[in-house]
Amino acid sequence: MTQPIDTSIYAAVTAAIQGEAKRILSEGQVTAIVGYAAARRKGSAQPIVISQPDDAQKLIFTPACVNNLAVYLTKAKKEIPKTGKIGIVVKGCDLKALAGLMGESQLKRENLYLIGVPCAGVLGSTIQPDTELTSDSIAPKCTECNERMPPECDFVPAVQVPVNQGLEKKYAAEIARLEALTPQERWAYWKEQFSKCIKCYACRQVCPFCFCEQCLCDRNKPQMVETTPRPAGNFAWHIVRAMHLAGRCAGCAECERVCPMDIPLNLLNRKMAKELKELFEHEAGFEVQEKGPLNSFTDKDDQSFIK
Amino acid sequence: MQNYISQQNFNALLDSLISQGKRVVAPRTNAGTVLYEPLANAADMVIDQLPRRSGKEAFFPLCEDIMTYQKEGQKIELQDIDPTRFLETVLVGVRPCDAAAIPVLDAVFSWDYKDEFFLERRKKTTIIGLACTQADDACFCTAVGLTPADPKGADLFLTPLEGGGYACETQSEKGEALVANNKELFAEPNGYKPLPLAEPQTGKFDLKKVKAWLDEHFEDPAWDSIATRCVGCGACAFVCPACHCFDIVDEGTEKQGKRRKNWDACGFWKFTHHASGHNPRDQQPKRYRNRIMHKFKYYDDKFGQTLCTGCGRCIRLCPVGIDIADILQDIDKIEVKVKVEENS
Repeated sequence: MTQPIDTSIYAAVTAAIQGEAKRILSEGQVTAIVGYAAARRKGSAQPIVISQPDDAQKLIFTPACVNNLAVYLTKAKKEIPKTGKIGIVVKGCDLKALAGLMGESQLKRENLYLIGVPCAGVLGSTIQPDTELTSDSIAPKCTECNERMPPECDFVPAVQVPVNQGLEKKYAAEIARLEALTPQERWAYWKEQFSKCIKCYACRQVCPFCFCEQCLCDRNKPQMVETTPRPAGNFAWHIVRAMHLAGRCAGCAECERVCPMDIPLNLLNRKMAKELKELFEHEAGFEVQEKGPLNSFTDKDDQSFIK
Repeated sequence: MQNYISQQNFNALLDSLISQGKRVVAPRTNAGTVLYEPLANAADMVIDQLPRRSGKEAFFPLCEDIMTYQKEGQKIELQDIDPTRFLETVLVGVRPCDAAAIPVLDAVFSWDYKDEFFLERRKKTTIIGLACTQADDACFCTAVGLTPADPKGADLFLTPLEGGGYACETQSEKGEALVANNKELFAEPNGYKPLPLAEPQTGKFDLKKVKAWLDEHFEDPAWDSIATRCVGCGACAFVCPACHCFDIVDEGTEKQGKRRKNWDACGFWKFTHHASGHNPRDQQPKRYRNRIMHKFKYYDDKFGQTLCTGCGRCIRLCPVGIDIADILQDIDKIEVKVKVEENS
């Protein structure tokens, strides 16, 4: 049954973000702020970078503020000024990506001013951005979120996030369904999904962890992965990506949201996260960890594979 | 000539074409997403939704082999693909924004170099257009000179009627042949009224004024504010009915392989990356500028029309909410003196 999601706090959150943004820009605490602004279509929002205190009034927070803005602080995005301290509006899920980027020495905490968002959830798709936020339209990641108040930010609006109880955990349910299939059935499922892939690389371009200067999949001397949108190359691409993100993906699910072909990409990342939790008790969180489970060794690691 | 066909007879027409061995491409659900794909049965058609990708792929597929090679010792064998093998095709349920893009592509693919792959498919394809009865606030066909009932590009144009069925208007010899060969399925107009047409909810802009501004503002700070947010994927170009850039790659081993033609996108950093390492479009705003310039200036300079049909797909699907209609409206608001060419 469809349940409405209470987003009444977002008006207060918007006002608080605007006030704080104006203050830190006026006082020169930051040189720019990456946030969300309303766009033309009814209910829509888009990322914005502001550097003038008067532009603080453009900032908003609504259910259409879906983007993980951490991508704008990576070296993949060279257009955002990197001199001085940058302010950024973050939801809990986005903050985990920032923690991961700090762990990988891509960002320094002291160069960031974190404006945390108390979040009741965002839309799973913004194809029609004026969609009301309900248990059906909410992003699957929000049904499994326990981090509605991002911790250790420089500023978080003082509002209480309403508790939405009893939302079905959408990824857990879908992963359980896929795990129950035979390998042949699972192969058929992904084959059908990947047959839609057009290699637009939207999944890669929005991912905060896809910051390689040159992606392996863009190499042509020699070609490492077939670039053609055909079954072999599509499988190779999505498996390479899932492996490269294992132990790093913070679960923002941007890859899945932006896929113009509706491929449920975050299922791969959630499955890898589940494996890593079972094998290494590792989970992406708010703590800055220097080494992930796949680029470190401890004597507690499972060695049963050595015969 | 005007005619009527019921939904039932329309499906019978498509099933009959399928049984004759024709490739019938129509909106169909594939793993939850509506796409133009070959039908096995007319009943699989989902005609009331705009497919996620455009109709261009009936002529210009995402990926196609254009040559194969084999090498054994010193012997190298190259084999061309034979375009005459392409199947006779009927492309069905094409809305005006998709159908109008096809003549736009014809101009490019038959300009200095005649693209035999595109043109052969084009020759063998009959297009059944469909008047549009659904629009949202990303649609802007009426702002780029089309209407939801524009038959441009279609061989046979259908208008959905109240109570079901379609009014049919033939637009070309191909359309006439399709009706003539299946006369028994068509009836006299039955007096039904057409369903109300779609009303795109996007404000109009003046294409001449937009072009006049673009003519003078290759360098402008506006490009940074428009496109700093662009993350450089190819979603906009790949869902666009009019974008037509492609890349040619050789894939295979040193013994054998294929030369393939794949869709490409000007948003990719690699698009203008030279072998030297230099990239003239070294930042994302320069790449996005090319998207706008190509659609509303360069293509117009060369072919006298706009490389955009207002389908709105790029607006709905941009990961970061870039809205081309909003950008064009903003340009339109800038005071621009349209240059009057002097008579000399």
